[in-house]
Amino acid sequence: MKRPLRSPGRLVALVAVVFWSLFPVYWALKTSLSTNAAAQQAPAQLFVTHPTGVSYQALFGAGPESADAAGGIARSLINIVVETTGATVLTLAIAVLAGYAFARLRFRLKSVIFYAVIATLTLPVYATLIPLYRIMSDVGLVNTYIGIIFVYTSGFVPLALWIMYNVFIALPASLEEAARIDGATTMQTFHRVVLPTARPGIAATAIITFLFGWGQFIFPLVLSSTSSTEPLTVLLAAIDSRNVPYTIINAAAIVAVAIPAVVVFFLNRWIVTGITAGAVK
Amino acid sequence: MTVTDAAAGEGYGPDPAAPARARRPRRDGALPYVMIAPLVVFIGALAIYPTVLTVIEAFMHIDPLTGPNHFAGFGNFSAIFRDPEVRQAIVNTGWYALFGVALTVGFGTGIALLLQRPFRGRGVVLAIIVLPWALPGVVEGVIWSWIYNPTFGVLNSALKSLHLIGQYQLFIGAHQVETILLIALVQAWQITPLAALIVLAALEAIPGELYEAASVDGASWHRTIRRVTLPLIRPALAIATVEALIMSLNIFDQVYVLNANSTTASSLMSTTYFITFQDLNFGEGYALSLMATVVTVAIAIGVVKLLYRKVDYQ
Repeated sequence: MKRPLRSPGRLVALVAVVFWSLFPVYWALKTSLSTNAAAQQAPAQLFVTHPTGVSYQALFGAGPESADAAGGIARSLINIVVETTGATVLTLAIAVLAGYAFARLRFRLKSVIFYAVIATLTLPVYATLIPLYRIMSDVGLVNTYIGIIFVYTSGFVPLALWIMYNVFIALPASLEEAARIDGATTMQTFHRVVLPTARPGIAATAIITFLFGWGQFIFPLVLSSTSSTEPLTVLLAAIDSRNVPYTIINAAAIVAVAIPAVVVFFLNRWIVTGITAGAVK
Repeated sequence: MTVTDAAAGEGYGPDPAAPARARRPRRDGALPYVMIAPLVVFIGALAIYPTVLTVIEAFMHIDPLTGPNHFAGFGNFSAIFRDPEVRQAIVNTGWYALFGVALTVGFGTGIALLLQRPFRGRGVVLAIIVLPWALPGVVEGVIWSWIYNPTFGVLNSALKSLHLIGQYQLFIGAHQVETILLIALVQAWQITPLAALIVLAALEAIPGELYEAASVDGASWHRTIRRVTLPLIRPALAIATVEALIMSLNIFDQVYVLNANSTTASSLMSTTYFITFQDLNFGEGYALSLMATVVTVAIAIGVVKLLYRKVDYQ
């Protein structure tokens, strides 16, 4: 069935869509590899003639312009990795356990609890931002990894639960019945039969949750704005508002783009599955 | 695999009646409650409880320095509606929602129709299209602010080379609606892939016979889209519209980077942020939050009711 594109109209449209999707990132990359003078030419030069890594060196604390620019980008990279990974692991643990219980087990108040959790998906950021700040201040978790991981998790869990619930519902029940007839307990069945079969769904949920975590801004802006915990996104906004050369700002942006871009190009199939499973039901 | 470890750590126990239980309706005892306990704790403490707090505190006078809060009735609400910055933010957010939904659903549906039929290289194109969705909103704001730059920006350079403008211009901050459109475009760049994937999934679910029947009847491409495709992807369009609407009513990251705290293109979310965390006016912040939450949820439900009908392929 697969065939090359025939109609020139569609081809032009496809090229336009690819250009639209890639150009801004290309432009940031190109700027980050240019010298300041080259980046500020008018008319703008579409390609870098002499690529240079000075902006990246400055960003990571080497070279003449480092003092102003860097301001702890290495630390903010560690922070974003710790916070995003922590939230992903915790979200998955919670959503996988609960998703299976909702999909397969019987207990009181099941549908009430399930729909109460899913309903929180419709809550906008407004609903929880200020009280979460006050709660976290009261318990002393502002500017801590744990605080930000907990807040991320509470936001990510409803969607993860929804996807995992649909994954478990779609698994054939016969495998679990067979395991049960062989004398396995519910927990053994879950561990040895269900989890391995659900692995693609779990992977999709993990990848999407990770990308959500990586993109967070307003919650860490409020909850972790000191250099010990601020993620790369918050630092990037701060660098952008300082008087730093555009080449260095774009280099910082490219650092923040790198990981999601790698995820998209290598794990794209799972992202599409996850988004579709989460949205169209 | 932490997931597996967590699962293995709890819930094992004697289950002597297992084979006999298989037939009759059963409850699973305490195990389900153990499995949902972490979920209930997290959602209860960090989603539902804070929402309830927002509802209550919106009617309180709150002074974080001098202490105890007291009931203020609708005082916070009348204060926010008297505030010209808030009024401007409400109008601006209306523009953000309009542009956001039109751009996102329009582009998204177009991209989905373009990718509907299989062709060589479709997977790569899909990966490229998904990329902007995966990037942080702040990063996109930063990247686009350089594109829009008044003195060195590539948009200025391109428009000048095409003789569409005589000299370099200030795009962001000069005119209200133009600024909002350009910031909305940055958000649309980010969320269009989501709309495209939602619509694409619906397109792929349409049985091929329907298209064959339409072409046997001699229907044009245009007519087929209108009479066959659009009615069948209506639910998907409803979902894409609601998602775009909620995200544009909540627009913050792009506004924070591109507009900072100027009122020209302020959004409800950015105004709420600055009133609460810069002016430390928590009472008004809560009132704004509650209002925005109610409006968001109400509009979302309304749009779904209006557009969403179950599809029957008969």
